[in-house]
Amino acid sequence: MTEFDRDAIQARLTTCTSKEATFKELVSLSKQLERLSDADKTDEHKVKGCESAVWLIEQQDNGICTFQADSDAKLMRGVLVVILSLANGRSKAELQAMDLAAELSQFNLSSYLTSSRTNGILGILKQIQA
Amino acid sequence: MIFDANKLRDEFPILAMEAHEHPLVYLDNAATTQKPQAVLDALIAYYTTSNANVHRGAHYLSDRATAQFEHARDRVARFINAPQADHVIWTQGTTDSINRVAYGLEWCLKPDDEILITSLEHHANLVPWQQLAFRTGARLRVLPLTSKGEWEPEYERYFNEHTRIFACTQVSNAIGVKTPITDMLAAAKAVNAFTLVDGAQAIAHYSVDVQALDCDFYAFSGHKMYGPTGIGVLYGKPHALEVLTPLQTGGEMVSHVTYNSTEFNVLPYRLEAGTPNIEGVIGLAAACDFLAAQDRQGMIEWEQKLARYVFDELKFNTDIEIYSPASDTTVVSLSVPGIHTLDLNSYLDSQGIAVRAGSHCAHPLMAQLGVSSTLRASFACYNTLSEARRFCDVLLEAIEILGDD
Repeated sequence: MTEFDRDAIQARLTTCTSKEATFKELVSLSKQLERLSDADKTDEHKVKGCESAVWLIEQQDNGICTFQADSDAKLMRGVLVVILSLANGRSKAELQAMDLAAELSQFNLSSYLTSSRTNGILGILKQIQA
Repeated sequence: MIFDANKLRDEFPILAMEAHEHPLVYLDNAATTQKPQAVLDALIAYYTTSNANVHRGAHYLSDRATAQFEHARDRVARFINAPQADHVIWTQGTTDSINRVAYGLEWCLKPDDEILITSLEHHANLVPWQQLAFRTGARLRVLPLTSKGEWEPEYERYFNEHTRIFACTQVSNAIGVKTPITDMLAAAKAVNAFTLVDGAQAIAHYSVDVQALDCDFYAFSGHKMYGPTGIGVLYGKPHALEVLTPLQTGGEMVSHVTYNSTEFNVLPYRLEAGTPNIEGVIGLAAACDFLAAQDRQGMIEWEQKLARYVFDELKFNTDIEIYSPASDTTVVSLSVPGIHTLDLNSYLDSQGIAVRAGSHCAHPLMAQLGVSSTLRASFACYNTLSEARRFCDVLLEAIEILGDD
């Protein structure tokens, strides 16, 4: 399981000063995401309300949550890396106490998150806290 | 009169904007068009000199507003060559127009009747008929046009003694192909079906003559033809409009009301309940005047030339699949297998280029094409060849960046 370094990711994204720079950074981040097998991309794992297809799988080990996620869209895979860097390695109670949307807003992704993708991303965050 | 897009652009103030620090290249015209200064001026002038409710007379401003409002009906009627202004009903847009007909004809449907649409419809010309079929027990049938808009003689059998309503788009919103509307309308009339043409994607580009089309109903939106949002038109032949049950009832559409009964007003008012979208009507009339003052033939040739340029630039690229026809269209709808259209869209946006990625409210058509979404560049009168070229260049850049796995 890949560990994502939240601080390093945040540093990379917050130095982007244009939508193009953010785009390229998300493309680059997307490559860190371990892809799910087709067998794992079930309807059960599919997050509803996303414009692109997004799958999310949760595992708990001694109360610690680990999420795996995938999407058919590359930029969404970049965003998923950001989300997993926030969520992985925490307990459910910890996740539920967090304002994940506010955390996510610190990554300078507003030009991607204000679009019609927003609802889908909120759906992912909700499922992580559920 | 010679058509000059570069000159015409100056009439659209928004086109001078930048997006993400690049010059804005607006190629999402099939979704909505930008507005010329003349339309903006008409809206401002209405509110600064004439704002009042219409048809209530009794004071100076109301008389002015009513005169402009009814004059607008004349101008729109002339624009589509309707024989009389009272054949023009104001609606909120194409979707609203179609819903009013779908509701208004409910009385004439019984189980075993058929409503016929084509496989190139926008959801707006599909869902209202499907729901009408559910309510009445009628069957919704789908005429399988190809993505080239081809008409096969064998399709005649879809038009039969059960066909009560035939509703068809004139131009596909998703891929820009024209439908064989004349042949289909002739077949529908031969079986005495009510006919409705969805003109949403045609009205900005082609000269529409409702008498030549000879359809019972013609629906379109103002915002797709350089006019304001929230205003649309339902044109109808008098006998067709007369038999519609009003979807909305209330003020303005009545001539006499008691607690036990209501006598409806004459057309067009019978189908226009409540205070209308007066500013929208006046803005739409200004948009008709704007279009009528152009060299329409030169304009459509220009728009098609831009789409053709993009088609020719991309047609040999093996990464790209194009779903739009090579010619006679103002749209290029494409996909890049292996790359999500939303990703392509994001990169184009980051370079200031506005297009549309998605299913274009046409899920069944996407299924027919075997894709979940396409990227659609749609051209309007103010687009330039350098914008078409820039779209191609940036799309190829996007493919290079996104294709690298």
